[in-house]
Amino acid sequence: MSDSGDSDVAWTYYKDRPEWRDVTPVPEDEGPNFVVVIAHSEKFVDVYDYFRAILQNNEKSERALHLTKDAVELNPANYTVWQYRRDILKSLGTDLTSELEYVEAVIKNSPKNYQVWHHRRVLVEWLQDPSLELELTRDALMQDPKNYHAWQHRQWAIKTFGLYDREMDFVDNLITEDVRNNSAWNQRYFVVNNHLGWSDLNVQKEICYALEKIKFIKNNESAWNYLRGVLLHDKRSISGNAVVISFCEELYKNKCRSPYLLAFIIDICDEAIKKGETSCLHNATRAVELCQALAGKYDKIRSKYWNYLCEKFKKSQQEEENNKDTENNITEQI
Amino acid sequence: MNNYEENKIMAHRQHVKYFMRFLNVLPSSLSSHDTTRVTIAYFAVSGLDILGAISTMTLDLRSRIIEWIYRLQVHPNKENGDMSMCGFQGSSTVNIDLQENNHFRCGHLAMTYTGLCILLALGDDLSRVNRKALVEGVKALQTEEGNFAATLSGCESDMRFVYCAACISYMLDDWSGFNIERATDYIIKSIGYDYGIAQCPELESHGGTTFCALATLSLTDQLDKLSEQQVEGLKRWLLFRQVDGFQGRPNKPVDTCYSFWVGASLKILDTLQYTNYGSNRKYVYETQDTVVGGFSKWPDTCTDPMHTYLGLAGLSLIGESGLLEIEPTLNITKRAYNHLKSVHVKWQNE
Repeated sequence: MSDSGDSDVAWTYYKDRPEWRDVTPVPEDEGPNFVVVIAHSEKFVDVYDYFRAILQNNEKSERALHLTKDAVELNPANYTVWQYRRDILKSLGTDLTSELEYVEAVIKNSPKNYQVWHHRRVLVEWLQDPSLELELTRDALMQDPKNYHAWQHRQWAIKTFGLYDREMDFVDNLITEDVRNNSAWNQRYFVVNNHLGWSDLNVQKEICYALEKIKFIKNNESAWNYLRGVLLHDKRSISGNAVVISFCEELYKNKCRSPYLLAFIIDICDEAIKKGETSCLHNATRAVELCQALAGKYDKIRSKYWNYLCEKFKKSQQEEENNKDTENNITEQI
Repeated sequence: MNNYEENKIMAHRQHVKYFMRFLNVLPSSLSSHDTTRVTIAYFAVSGLDILGAISTMTLDLRSRIIEWIYRLQVHPNKENGDMSMCGFQGSSTVNIDLQENNHFRCGHLAMTYTGLCILLALGDDLSRVNRKALVEGVKALQTEEGNFAATLSGCESDMRFVYCAACISYMLDDWSGFNIERATDYIIKSIGYDYGIAQCPELESHGGTTFCALATLSLTDQLDKLSEQQVEGLKRWLLFRQVDGFQGRPNKPVDTCYSFWVGASLKILDTLQYTNYGSNRKYVYETQDTVVGGFSKWPDTCTDPMHTYLGLAGLSLIGESGLLEIEPTLNITKRAYNHLKSVHVKWQNE
């Protein structure tokens, strides 16, 4: 972060301001053993010497409020300054609308700063007015659609004040713009989970949505993960949903070898084995084959992992064959 | 920038110098790190430790750092004995007597945690740490939800500080300030539909917060609270973060720091051996600056102490030669960890 304001021609140090003559600046007390020293600019030193003074004097005035603005401009990560600024705002009964505008401007300059977003959240809590939050976070997400701070603030505002109404449209647009935006997929789950609910109809709708997007780009982990997430709410789980299974097998037949597809079919096999519901398509032998294909060709970077899973499935395969033998023996005996 | 052939050798000497510079004087462009100088010192000292270079620091420098850290310790209120603000501050920005505003002079969990790491790496015996007070300071920051705020003076609470609180409690060998049940509940609620773990419930799964959560479960001996499905899902999610190096979230670019965050998470789950060490190593080396030392998050970008430290820690996890072994849960060297264990024995015998 750059040290802003040093080139300000019109800047006057606090120590040279007549209206501050009654305040004695308090220098930082580094002690005798300083390490990791930051060679702050003269302006920084001046502003923080006066900040320490007003904090010590517990001065809550207009000029102190202004001083905190200079202090956070020099270091927006100073949580003490932000907290003291809030104390002053409260004590002066300042109009918080202008503070919202101010913090919005700071967020635009430092969109990945924890303290600024926290300040914003406290203001919204004080005002109990979230009417600007969706727009604010939308703007931040336009700049960076995966900004974690913006998503966190947005989810908080939506959850606290029940602002779900148009969120699905927002999510839809983001996914349309970039189908690989994992944050947007996560938000989709958030909306269904908290607002629309996982009714049978919604589960089927969301499955279709995910499949549609996978058809469009097959090698997209975000869409595959979402599909799994939705299936957590399907009573038939991943091995029992005929639509999903035929979709996967169709892709496989059409030569798609995306690691996400193969991993998904492996999981279908795994579940079928655990439930004792294996079929000619989904069984340990198939899982072994797929693990080998991933390890040897389609996902070499994780070959050790696929080989490890392969060994596990080989044991199940052995059991399957033993069972078959037993069945045959029984048939013969009959 | 050098090509890969030149770059794949550890610029050991340059990294030592690099960290030494950060322990000295930093340019004014780093003013936004003013309140978190202890974390920079942690990256430098612990980085030197991984490089096996603590002994190359002069005794004077080592003792200056130790004294500086102790000076940042906030002690109980002299009048009423209140310990809720106790911990380490990150710098001397507001380490003065603030009279009626004295609640602004308070510890910060990330600074307390990294401050203790520095003391351990430098071989201090923690005898001047006010253990009872630090534990009370931790206790004051746990929320109803089970997570932790970083500090008393107006701060967000999330998974990062759950981890810092767990490390502090572990290092002080005292869990009375940390409600394990509530923290575990918070962690489990923060597991996503893709089995990764987020900063708070329902947010997007993230490599850094997944590490914080898993390391906490390991330090509190609660890993068995995860179901088999959750563990297998987590392993898969973490393993899929490898592209060549590691990314922090699906469909995001690879970044040097995740070789540690994701690597250590996998190590905790005893699964790191299923990753591809060669590709991981190659990526991290591509972000090395062999001329002035340091690692950056991406090739050909600016180095910084955090990525330098985490790059080295990530390489250490996969057994890079010339580096000391790392203890993944506390993110300190095994050497510092063994020292901690000897301090614990001493306390137990007191």
